[in-house]
Amino acid sequence: MGRRLQARRETAEGRALLRLTASYLAVFAIVIATLSVLAYTFVANTYRSIVAPALETPEGRAGFAAALRPVLAAIVTADALLLLAVGGASFALARSALSPLRRAREREERFAADAAHELRTPLGAIASMAENAELDAAEPARSVFASIARRALECGDLVGDLLTLSRASEPGALQAETLDLAIVVRHVIRDAAAAPGSLAIDASLSEAIVTGDERRLRQLIRNLLDNALAHAASRVAVTLQTNNGDACLSVEDDGPGVPADAIPRLFERFAKGSNSRGSGLGLAICRWIASAHGGEIVFAGGSRFTVRLPLATPGPAAPLS
Amino acid sequence: MRILLIEDDDDISGAVAAMLGRERYAVDVERDGERGLDRLLTASYALAIVDVGLPSRDGFAICRAARDEGIGTPLLILTAQDSVEQRIRGLDAGADDYLIKPFSIGELTARVRALLRRGERPPLPTRYAIGSLELDAGTRSASVAGRALELSATEYRLLEFFARERGRTLSRSQILEKIWDFDFQGSSNIVDVYVSQLRRKLAALDSTATIATAWGVGYKLVVKPPKAARSSG
Repeated sequence: MGRRLQARRETAEGRALLRLTASYLAVFAIVIATLSVLAYTFVANTYRSIVAPALETPEGRAGFAAALRPVLAAIVTADALLLLAVGGASFALARSALSPLRRAREREERFAADAAHELRTPLGAIASMAENAELDAAEPARSVFASIARRALECGDLVGDLLTLSRASEPGALQAETLDLAIVVRHVIRDAAAAPGSLAIDASLSEAIVTGDERRLRQLIRNLLDNALAHAASRVAVTLQTNNGDACLSVEDDGPGVPADAIPRLFERFAKGSNSRGSGLGLAICRWIASAHGGEIVFAGGSRFTVRLPLATPGPAAPLS
Repeated sequence: MRILLIEDDDDISGAVAAMLGRERYAVDVERDGERGLDRLLTASYALAIVDVGLPSRDGFAICRAARDEGIGTPLLILTAQDSVEQRIRGLDAGADDYLIKPFSIGELTARVRALLRRGERPPLPTRYAIGSLELDAGTRSASVAGRALELSATEYRLLEFFARERGRTLSRSQILEKIWDFDFQGSSNIVDVYVSQLRRKLAALDSTATIATAWGVGYKLVVKPPKAARSSG
């Protein structure tokens, strides 16, 4: 499957290369065409002034036209050869113009991956050592170790979130497949409900076949569900319906709702409410995931968030054997 | 039960080994990739936990080499990188699960328990040939009469499930449970959507293998009789 991703990225690059080649070629073609018209007009006018007296008879005019025909043919042939050469040159130019961009992107990707790696490995060591120490320690050291482990894990999530958003614009950031959103939601709810001390989650889910990246959609649903669970008094409600060619997913809790001052910047990065425990990236990631799938996420008042994703368009029916 | 841990970060390996020790597993720790692979190939382990970034041989190469040698030991990859490419590389290399650093040790032990429950992989055939359709489980690729069949990850898994159970009728709920981990009330048409996608792709390459409908029961993979169904020509 890695090949497929690679292929998609290469296709995007190929398209950029073609577009740039085409625009170079267009400029060259306009220049060549203009020069050709000028050359032809100049030659025709020069001939005309030389043979002006002969042009007064019909035979003379026909002879003049016949004399100009090879000139036109020569110019067209030269143009065709020139265009061919210029096409090759445009392609080479486009490629050399794009290659620093590609190298820059690769450098950036490598930097992000390296940075994540360099941060995650020590965070992993901190979390593992603290968790291990927690089991041997007596209070109050025990709860200190527990906090160290928890904060290290949160920091790891933050690194992951930043990496997600930094890669958001890359082609191949999504690995799309046909899926039933209801199954994805059920899995997320099942995992959340398995956590100790979890609140009641009411789910009313209808089938919704969409094209999407399952891992990303899980992340979106999990972020919304975690938010709801963190702020709920006792219950969280998740509904999934289809409506007008869209899948509509709503997540709502019975908590105090989003404070009014937080609403304007709800989906911005690092915009978090005073009572929020998260990184402040959760809803920004939700918004990116929804829009990358051609949908949107809106705050629908109170504590309710609604995600709208386009349903998959069914392909032509398969022949039944 | 004996577990092999190949990890070059001493702090992590120390803490993980101590934690697994509490759970009564015997843990061998190896810091170097090459030596880790040697141990995996020569000794018998119930499970191996393999870090990706290792001196001398990376975790993916270790998994691939172990699978190439026919080692069925469950393999859990530890990685500091969380990208689609990395995950695909890990699974393609034959890893059974992966965990991203930093992880909670509770999560690690839960994954370890799950993998140990599942046990060694049964020695499945790595290639299937059904009519003109061929599947290579090693590279997770499919082809029809030598031409590549482009499949998504789920399409491949479904087709491999059909191939493994060829000729047997699989019910929608069996398929849902196996491919979509569906253990809920109710049902989903996702199976029919995928069967129709697969049929379309197989038909486009004139495959003689096709998915037949067993009315009211489910689907099965069959080879078309030679003169059947060439209507669209």
